[in-house]
Amino acid sequence: METLVLKGFGEVVKTVTFRVRRYDPEKKEIPKYEEYKVPVQKGMTILDGILYIKEHLDHSLSARYSCRMGICGSCGMIINGKEKLACQTQILELGKDLIKVDPMGNYGIVKDLVPELSKLFNNHQSVKPFIVREEEEPKSEFLQTPDQREKYAMFTDCILCGLCLSACPTSASDELYLGPQALAQSFRYIVDNRDLGFEERLNVVDSKHGVWRCHFSGACSEVCPKGVDPALAIQLLRKVMTTNIFVKYQQKGATRGPERKSALGVS
Amino acid sequence: MTIENKKGWISWFNPFKYGTDRWMFALHRLTGIALGLYLIAHVWETSNILNGQVTWDKIMVDLDYPFGAHYGPFILSLILIVAVYHALNGIRLTIVENGLMLPKPYRPEFPYKAKSLRGLNNLLKIVLGIFMILISAIGVIFIFTGVIV
Ligand code: SF4
Ligand code: FES
Repeated sequence: METLVLKGFGEVVKTVTFRVRRYDPEKKEIPKYEEYKVPVQKGMTILDGILYIKEHLDHSLSARYSCRMGICGSCGMIINGKEKLACQTQILELGKDLIKVDPMGNYGIVKDLVPELSKLFNNHQSVKPFIVREEEEPKSEFLQTPDQREKYAMFTDCILCGLCLSACPTSASDELYLGPQALAQSFRYIVDNRDLGFEERLNVVDSKHGVWRCHFSGACSEVCPKGVDPALAIQLLRKVMTTNIFVKYQQKGATRGPERKSALGVS
Repeated sequence: MTIENKKGWISWFNPFKYGTDRWMFALHRLTGIALGLYLIAHVWETSNILNGQVTWDKIMVDLDYPFGAHYGPFILSLILIVAVYHALNGIRLTIVENGLMLPKPYRPEFPYKAKSLRGLNNLLKIVLGIFMILISAIGVIFIFTGVIV
């Protein structure tokens, strides 16, 4: 069989074997590995490899992806034993001739490499990932200095890929654990000077399956493709929690800027 | 139909590819379990004193010569190292898990190496590592020679 080459990539460098964990929900069989030979061209990512398989070798292979550039957080999977975004992992950079691709762990599997992420999103929602204020519709912006922004800015980079929950050893054994992603986000909002929702988040975060379940193995920060460092957020959140016992954590809520009128005179 | 794909507690002991902190976590769990089992065995061992001196002396010799050779001091040294690791790493975890000796939030830069797992946290690991070697060495020498250095 002649090798098909993809346009837009460099010349074919070598052929690698993809060992992909397959699960077909209609067959009710336990997942098993299947192997595919993929000719690798310079610049091809794991996602390109999977799409090559889907187009030329096995149409039934399923994976989830969207942006192909590390923005949407859809393509998380376990590549050679480590959680990675498939679209950001160069095949040649791995330097292996056998590439094992597994769906992310600690979630359900919908099909093949597609994980069931509702746990991630539910946990994310449960910590109220938004600025909590009483006002229905603020008429002007809340004031914030660049320094105040630096306190949480790095945690806003989270793309909800869910790799951290897959790598976390606590999530592996505790089904109800909130997980690094949700805890990092709760910290992001708690230290935001515009927020007033500390008390509301407290009963979710300061619980049996909340912040105290973390044992700082650092796996989440190690695999996070955006450098969010959720482990740091969790430990800093714990600092807030322990200090809160002695000195109540105060959220003042940022002051308002001047009321603005739009060009049409309607605010 | 979706199926479960939990990694389970067995994955605690798979620290490969996740860095030093993950290794230390796995070792901490392992040493913790080992110490728990040792404690039970230790309580059983010392409770034998209730059975009189002859039994006690026999048990002391048996424990010093398990599997027919003088392995006692080696096993004791191993237990000591396990306990020292668990204690010192516990001190490190108490510090860092309360948000101390960690960096302030920073700007992530490619290739996104997490700073919380490096920096002062690494310094702590090195300092406590040196302590671990010193304490273990003193202990092991004592176990084998009876001399406190
Ligand atoms: S914290 Fe990092 S690994 Fe976790 S969901 Fe967000 S981007 Fe992904
Ligand atoms: S496809 Fe969007 S992050 Fe990989």
